Amino acid sequence: MLKSVKNEQMKKNILIIDNSEIIRNLLTDYLDDLGYGIEMAVNGQEGIEMALSRDYDLVFCDIHMPKKNGYQVYCEVTEKKPQLPFIMTDSLPDDLADKAVDKGAFACLAKPFSLDQIEEVLRDIFKRD
Amino acid sequence: MSFQKFINSLKLRTKFMLPISVLVISSVFAISSYLIKSQNENMRTDLEDKGIMMLKIVSTSAESGVLFESEYELNELLERVTQFNDITYAAIFRPDNSLLAEAGIWDDSNIESISPFIDEDIIDEKNIDSLVIGKNGKEFLKMSHDITTLINTLNREILGIRAGNDIKNQSQVVETIGKLIIVISLENLNKSIYESKKTAIVITLIVLLLTIIMIAFFIDLVISPIKQLVSVAEKVKMGDLSQKADLNQSDEIGHLADTFDNMVESLRETRDEIEEYNRNLEQKIIERTLELEEVQVQLIQSEKLSAIGQLAAGVAHELNNPLGGILGYSQFALEKMKKSSENASEPIDHSKFIRYLTDIETQARRCKTIVQNLLRFSRSSKSTDFRRVDMNAVVEDTCTFVEHQLYMNQIELELILSDKLPQIQGDAGQLQQVFTNLIINAMHASPQESVIKIATRFSQSVGEFAGAIEIIVSDKGSGISTENIKKIFEPFFTTKQVGKGTGLGLSVSYGIIKEHGGEIRVDSTVDEGSTFTVILPVQNIVESPINQVSTENQ
Repeated sequence: MLKSVKNEQMKKNILIIDNSEIIRNLLTDYLDDLGYGIEMAVNGQEGIEMALSRDYDLVFCDIHMPKKNGYQVYCEVTEKKPQLPFIMTDSLPDDLADKAVDKGAFACLAKPFSLDQIEEVLRDIFKRD
Repeated sequence: MSFQKFINSLKLRTKFMLPISVLVISSVFAISSYLIKSQNENMRTDLEDKGIMMLKIVSTSAESGVLFESEYELNELLERVTQFNDITYAAIFRPDNSLLAEAGIWDDSNIESISPFIDEDIIDEKNIDSLVIGKNGKEFLKMSHDITTLINTLNREILGIRAGNDIKNQSQVVETIGKLIIVISLENLNKSIYESKKTAIVITLIVLLLTIIMIAFFIDLVISPIKQLVSVAEKVKMGDLSQKADLNQSDEIGHLADTFDNMVESLRETRDEIEEYNRNLEQKIIERTLELEEVQVQLIQSEKLSAIGQLAAGVAHELNNPLGGILGYSQFALEKMKKSSENASEPIDHSKFIRYLTDIETQARRCKTIVQNLLRFSRSSKSTDFRRVDMNAVVEDTCTFVEHQLYMNQIELELILSDKLPQIQGDAGQLQQVFTNLIINAMHASPQESVIKIATRFSQSVGEFAGAIEIIVSDKGSGISTENIKKIFEPFFTTKQVGKGTGLGLSVSYGIIKEHGGEIRVDSTVDEGSTFTVILPVQNIVESPINQVSTENQ
């Protein structure tokens, strides 16, 4: 299963925006293992700056963060880069996550999410390409 | 003191006795003195009448003796006169005031003083009497009478003619030929007067005594029930309502006593009712107090639940991240293990696996801490559970709950914790509730990107406390108006929007801190911020290290 994903992707770059260190580490370990290029931002503001300054194929963005929440990040980034896919992560059921999905975010994963869910979402996204 | 006042100050007995005694005494005296006086007069008159009779008889008898100047005969006559009671002295004087004859003795030797013709004034018309006081103070009655004769008779005597048939035809010229004087001693009279006076006085006194005794007896009859009534009333006044006068009299006082008894009876009934009511009231107060205490406990609990509700999001966030890590890393490690066992060309990288498992353990521990913390906080404490508490740990634990919310509201939390805090006796869960409340309040008042500072410190002396821990929560928020600052500890007072606060937070916090023997102080300026200082006394520390239980292990 992991192999199939790995074969499909051509060194795609993924930005992870999350203030939780353990989540950042997990996603990094897992996606790195799958062969993606990973970069990290620890809060919303930093995430926006990175997302706008470099090219990424996908953004993992947490909703509840200091200095700009996930929804703000999504709005500000997609305003400039409307094609950039966002996967929102959310530790709480929140209107902001729903609003982001309504506006076009690819998916919202509720924490704690399993790796299967990530794999599925990744497959869906990169299949389209 | 006016007369009216004097009368009013008298006792009832005196009030009765005084006028009655005065009346009785004066009337008895009036009657007896009138009787004595009239008796005296009668006796005196009697004596005088006897004297006059004596004078008339003796002067008639003495006529011939005087005519013939027969001293012997006259002396004999006077001697007999003085034999009579009370007549002490008798004398006959010639018209020229010379003594013709006398008998008896009179202690006043000055015969001149009784001379009838010298002192004309003392002889009244009837020739009756005059009072003479003797030298020794004895009283005498001096009486005199003319000794008369008819001249014709004289002539006839001289002529020796004794026939008297033609006397009536003679001219009746009366010639005074001498004067008879008798002196009657009043000693006996006075003695008997004195005796009768004495008797009268004794009788008067006896009558008086009897009267007074009678009056006193009757007054007692009237007064003693009144006294009894008064003594019962006194006892009633002292609170003994079981007293009864029970006079069993049918007069006005009896009626008064019956009325009084009835009054006391109904008073007693009323008092018993009131006491019964009071007992019920006390019972009710105790019941209500217990109910209130129950409600207070429930209030603390519900306020706590409200706080938990507000913190739930933060707690979920706190839990979901480590749980996500645990879930993800365990899956990841499992996948890797499976792959390695299926395909020998992919060996297990032990160092990576150690890191995954360490992360899992760390995150699981974090979850455990959060859950424990939450449970400790939400535990329903019917009574306060006092243990040794490290206030820094309480503050830090509290912060883990609220951190997320502060984070979300983009408010920074700055902890300045003193490392020299002694431990205190306290209920960690309740104290956490206080600080949760204070921090959430500060958060609600603070604008975005402001800082809430929490500092702990130990002071040797704060206000009335000798040795206390101060926990200072200060914000740069909207502050509290002077009008509201008086009300912030009142239950249900809130300036927050509906749904954001119960209005119980500070009042419950205040109760908790009071329970810990401490106090909460507020210092606030509108638009500049508020500082809440919780002061907890440390006098109840037990210094034995064996008993030290950190909040972590509770």
